[in-house]
Amino acid sequence: MSISRRRLLAAGGGLSIAALLGAAGCGDDSSDGSGGRTLKLLLPGDAPKESWDTVLAEVNKRLKADLGFTIDPQFIAWANYGNQALLKFTAGESFDTALQARWLNMTQLVASKSLVPVDALLASGKYKNLSDNLDPKLIELNKWSGKLYGIPQVNSAARLHHFCMRQDLAEKLGFSAITDFQTLERFLYAVKQKEKGVTPLAVSSNMPDLLIANTPIGWLNEYSWENPNQSGQAFTGNSIPFFMAADAKATGSARPVPFWEAPGILDALRAVRRYYQDGLINHDALNVDSNTLRSQFEAGRYATRWAMTDGLSSQSAAPLAKAVPGATLANIMPLRGGLTAKPNQTFQADNFVVLNVKGQSNEQAMQLEDWVSIKANHDLIQYGIEGTDWKPAGDDKYEAITSYSTFPGYALSWRAKLERKLSTISQTEDEIFTWAQNYDNFTVDPFASFVPDPEPVKRENAQVTAAMTQYGNPLFIGAVDVDKGLDSLKKAVEKAGLAKLQTEMEKQANEYLKG
Amino acid sequence: MSTLQTRERGRTATPPLAPPAKRDRGSRIRTALWTGLLALPAVAFFVVFAYLPMAGLVVAFKEFNIADGVFGSPWNGLDNFRYFFSSGEASRILLNTLLLNTLFLAATLAAGITLALMLNEIRGRFFKRVAQSTIFFPYFVSPIVISIILQVLLAGVGGSGGAVNDALGGLGLPTVSWYTEPGPWPWILTIVKVWQMGGYMSVIFLAAITAIPDEVYEAGMIDGASRAQMAWRITVPLLRPTAAVLLVLGVGRIFYGDFGTIYAIVGDNGTLFPTTDVIDTYVFRALRELGDFGTTAAVGLFQSVVGFVLVVTAVLIQRRYAKESSIL
Repeated sequence: MSISRRRLLAAGGGLSIAALLGAAGCGDDSSDGSGGRTLKLLLPGDAPKESWDTVLAEVNKRLKADLGFTIDPQFIAWANYGNQALLKFTAGESFDTALQARWLNMTQLVASKSLVPVDALLASGKYKNLSDNLDPKLIELNKWSGKLYGIPQVNSAARLHHFCMRQDLAEKLGFSAITDFQTLERFLYAVKQKEKGVTPLAVSSNMPDLLIANTPIGWLNEYSWENPNQSGQAFTGNSIPFFMAADAKATGSARPVPFWEAPGILDALRAVRRYYQDGLINHDALNVDSNTLRSQFEAGRYATRWAMTDGLSSQSAAPLAKAVPGATLANIMPLRGGLTAKPNQTFQADNFVVLNVKGQSNEQAMQLEDWVSIKANHDLIQYGIEGTDWKPAGDDKYEAITSYSTFPGYALSWRAKLERKLSTISQTEDEIFTWAQNYDNFTVDPFASFVPDPEPVKRENAQVTAAMTQYGNPLFIGAVDVDKGLDSLKKAVEKAGLAKLQTEMEKQANEYLKG
Repeated sequence: MSTLQTRERGRTATPPLAPPAKRDRGSRIRTALWTGLLALPAVAFFVVFAYLPMAGLVVAFKEFNIADGVFGSPWNGLDNFRYFFSSGEASRILLNTLLLNTLFLAATLAAGITLALMLNEIRGRFFKRVAQSTIFFPYFVSPIVISIILQVLLAGVGGSGGAVNDALGGLGLPTVSWYTEPGPWPWILTIVKVWQMGGYMSVIFLAAITAIPDEVYEAGMIDGASRAQMAWRITVPLLRPTAAVLLVLGVGRIFYGDFGTIYAIVGDNGTLFPTTDVIDTYVFRALRELGDFGTTAAVGLFQSVVGFVLVVTAVLIQRRYAKESSIL
């Protein structure tokens, strides 16, 4: 059958109009299909591989019955989370909550009034379950300019970076306990010399500064092992770290100095350079991402890797034991004197659930945070369906059955008082995690609730951050000669506006000390 | 004979067009309307996705903040442009951008023509198809996968091994810490681009080769040309218009740093920046750290304006020296 040209054009035109009308009809639908509201949440990473749909359906069933609304979490890959979440805020999208942090875009979002302060909502008394699960100290120390801009997501009081190491290798090489820096160094060299195919220390591309210039302690900074009471601040996540005067609180003068002028830093830089040249640190540290490194560690390719005081590094024990029969894990806190050292702590949360000013209902967003603060609900979203995804092991532990238990609780439902530990947690990590949950085990940092405002030095800070990525990170992992590398870094940051940053940091820090 | 005479001769040589058939005015209007309607999706697409977003370029001249939005944020003149040019890195970044893209453009064009000539010489139809598909395949490989392949080849687990270093060791040559040596990276990235784009380009040139009339080759055969002479004296010159168009298109994008490939491979490895940092990767880092949309828009606008100037220049040069293949 032949079609006339006119018919063909008419059909094409009709289809065009239909397509345009169809496109115009695609709008935002925030209803759950049964008349109730659906809260949109932005979460980082990937949805749990196992059981996510089942768990979400159960969560929504209970939420609908209890509060009359449901949730629609949108997962955004970690690699894009910062940019995409920021773009969604910028574009005025009407999602309700998101994960945010100082190391993401929280400073900028606070400055641009994109976030709802939650103090008044919390004080309203309507969210008792939530209030009961947030320590008053946590709320007090997480305020910025006197306001709380999100619900802190923590499962411990303090957060300190430390090591997770192959305990089986340590014992095999004659290092049953590592409690000081010299022993750690000897262990790393012993691994290099005696364990072919195992790199002693795993460093990923997003953690070079943790090795040396992190406060209160850097992994490979011997001085900070002995003196874990240094205060440091940076305007934003990857900008230059400034170290504050040790007597700042007494004198009222912060006197911030760039990291290389702080005690112990130069020695640490030279030590790390030696480790890099001797093959103790992976030579692809500036390229390899943390997930890849973790899987390589679990395959038995590394002797030590990063850990945080959140009780989660023992999750690597099972896959590691499968790849390397007999392998076991232990955690080391880089502190002489171990857990009696009372290191400084700001107690500032790494992550927050923030409320979008363009969200449909801040009340319901808070109701959700309150709802996940009830133990049964918290267990459901955090660990999955009981009996299917996990089994209780005593009052405070759980046995994982599926991989659902890796749900990112830090992005929605971490509550220190409700958290369960993995039943397979190593003894040392258990001790460290328990220790980190008590505020009294730490010294309150003189700059505990100080959050510098980068707005007055926004442009200089951006350029200094770019210079730190280019010249700082290679220096921190030992990939370049210390003298040459430091010289290049100094020239670059001075040109980018270091003096202005230092002056502004001093001004803001001194004002903070005045109270 | 002057150009004018040639043109006049061309005009007179062209047979006069037949007078248009008389058609009803209403019918013509209806046809025009339906044709316009048919074009509507494409027009709407370009209006929505290409022209309307241009309004966002205003951000390049603003101290953008989220609360006030694009049009409510205060003006800040050329401050956003100054950020990039006052960084002290601008000259190196501009040079890297130009150098890398020139290398990519030259190498992929040369590889495309060479591969097309070689494929054209294959007589076995099955083998030709297999070879064509095989060299085309890398075009579909994601830059992330390419970065992983490169890491395996150049560094291996832990960054101290890799197949290339194994080979160098086997030959008694010193191994190289590839991921901390900036020198070889322009060439490594060029090899990657040729691997990725060579097959794609060759298909375009093969299509151009098939359009060359058989009579031209027959004439060559009668004149006693060998296959190599025919390739060099007939095929290559007749591919010039296609190469010229691809060159002009490539020149237009020469200020865009092929962000996907470079960032996936180099990432935030500062030791490689001296030879690999291009405008896009530099701006992406600034945006990621601070979400500074003003600066990003300013550099984007700068890239577009320079790209436009380059395209116009390239087209004008092409019109001057190779008018028969000009796209204007």
